[in-house]
Amino acid sequence: MAAAAAAAAICGEDETAARVGCTGEWAGGIERVDLGERKEAVAAAGAGKRSVYLMDCAPVWGCASTRGRSAEMEDASAAVPRFADVPVRLLASRRDLDALGLDADALRLPAHLFGVFDGHGGAEVANYCRERIHVVLSEELKRLGKNLGEMGEVDMKEHWDDVFTKCFQRVDDEVSGRVTRVVNGGGEVRSEPVTAENVGSTAVVALVCSSHVVVANCGDSRIVLCRGKEPVALSIDHKPDRKDERARIEAQGGKVIQWNGYRVSGILAMSRSIGDRYLKPFVIPKPEVMVVPRAKDDDCLILASDGLWDVVSNEEACKVARRQILLWHKNNGAASPLSDEGEGSTDPAAQAAADYLMRLALKKGSEDNITVIVVDLKPRKKLKNIS
Amino acid sequence: MPCIPASSPGIPHQHQHQHHRALAGVGMAVGCAAEAAVAAAGVAGTRCGAHDGEVPMEVARHHEHAEPGSGRCCSAVVQHVAAPAAAVWSVVRRFDQPQAYKRFVRSCALLAGDGGVGTLREVRVVSGLPAASSRERLEILDDESHVLSFRVVGGEHRLKNYLSVTTVHPSPSAPTAATVVVESYVVDVPPGNTPEDTRVFVDTIVKCNLQSLAKTAEKLAAGARAAGS
Repeated sequence: MAAAAAAAAICGEDETAARVGCTGEWAGGIERVDLGERKEAVAAAGAGKRSVYLMDCAPVWGCASTRGRSAEMEDASAAVPRFADVPVRLLASRRDLDALGLDADALRLPAHLFGVFDGHGGAEVANYCRERIHVVLSEELKRLGKNLGEMGEVDMKEHWDDVFTKCFQRVDDEVSGRVTRVVNGGGEVRSEPVTAENVGSTAVVALVCSSHVVVANCGDSRIVLCRGKEPVALSIDHKPDRKDERARIEAQGGKVIQWNGYRVSGILAMSRSIGDRYLKPFVIPKPEVMVVPRAKDDDCLILASDGLWDVVSNEEACKVARRQILLWHKNNGAASPLSDEGEGSTDPAAQAAADYLMRLALKKGSEDNITVIVVDLKPRKKLKNIS
Repeated sequence: MPCIPASSPGIPHQHQHQHHRALAGVGMAVGCAAEAAVAAAGVAGTRCGAHDGEVPMEVARHHEHAEPGSGRCCSAVVQHVAAPAAAVWSVVRRFDQPQAYKRFVRSCALLAGDGGVGTLREVRVVSGLPAASSRERLEILDDESHVLSFRVVGGEHRLKNYLSVTTVHPSPSAPTAATVVVESYVVDVPPGNTPEDTRVFVDTIVKCNLQSLAKTAEKLAAGARAAGS
């Protein structure tokens, strides 16, 4: 139901566009997918409204990263436009799709992937995640897509949990050498660990398509949605003193010890990570997943390592990012960067927001590596003022 | 579990000893912390019986720490390595290059000495740990008996008065091809923590180091065999 409601909310944008004199075509980041064979179905869906599932969405993001005051740079990040097509059955029920006149089994939505990976003990695992998570996730989505025909009405969230859990476990297994991995551009296959057993990384990942944002988080990096000017946390930090995490660790015979903060075995300040095999089975790579329908009042997504979040609140980050994006567009109203630039490059407004957040964290005394990705979720038109 | 002095007759030994497993790559920890009451009854110089049963007899005397007393704790980690003792010792003895097998070490600088007894090193550790550096003095370097000992004399960490002893000894079951490494230590229990906390923390790091030592020495020995053939 939420998905359908979101679809209606986003379709309603047509009327807003019409009111500002934008006739027929959608402005900004949303473009109509050319699905010629679906035109009849679209017409049948009624009254010229376009389903959120038939829209495209261009990737609009900025990324800023700095070693900051640390001796080493161990953060990594990934932005992979159109890394996979998502079977629409993972986003809406068959019943809802049928009601819209869409082919539930065949339709795929292009999706973009954004990820932040904060390494510790070394950069090797974070760098490996940057290269591999989107590839493995794409493979998992393809595998799931092949089995769609046999799928009845199933909880979509369960499938996303399954997809991301398998993805993160696979990457963790490759890191530890438990499964073979391909190196050097596919010419070589290895079954040895990527690096030493005490190296690990967080992984917070967002899959963005026209209808939904799907988030998977493992560790203490974080992703926040700015919606209607308010922060919505899409991840919950995996800290060892989180009641359920502590219970899980202790049930496994592990110990959470306060040693300059709560730490697994007194050593690691997070309860889940990719890598860190010396602390298994207490530290696991299983992500927590959230599936969030997009809404008209979504402003942006902020993914960042704890170098940002330790010194900037969710509220402040949202306010700042939103303001910087609006400011950029106000000051650059004459330009149309989105239509001019290829999709492989960052968006200057989102980039300005990411840069600003990074500098803000430095100014506030962050002592860690800082990595920030800002994803603009708003269709952009020229703005006359800052609301 | 209280540490029971060996000289106290009639007090049953409380430790649960794990069965000996002659497997390369297996690290085990045995240890205890002194209870205040037992400490009060203790005698200076009485040896800690914590390590009985796991530490090989031949090297046990090197791991006899004086009665730790209240506020202190001790433990020992045993690691089996599928490589000759000479290969293992060649890695362990390099006080100037702990990063060869200690994965938590990011860098090491000598502040005094050249690798022999009295050498002082400053170790900087990798990120993510509740510590930044450790200043350590080499107390024993015995190439005949394969014994190395160091004392932590400073640095940014919570382990005060840490004294470590590492011994390298041919495995009784396969003397020319396998080795038993024992690392034991005694240390103050930091304020706010329990002896068990302290042992879990230190043992986890020591185990990780010794497992890495096993891999490093096994690789070294394999290389030597390949060169020899």
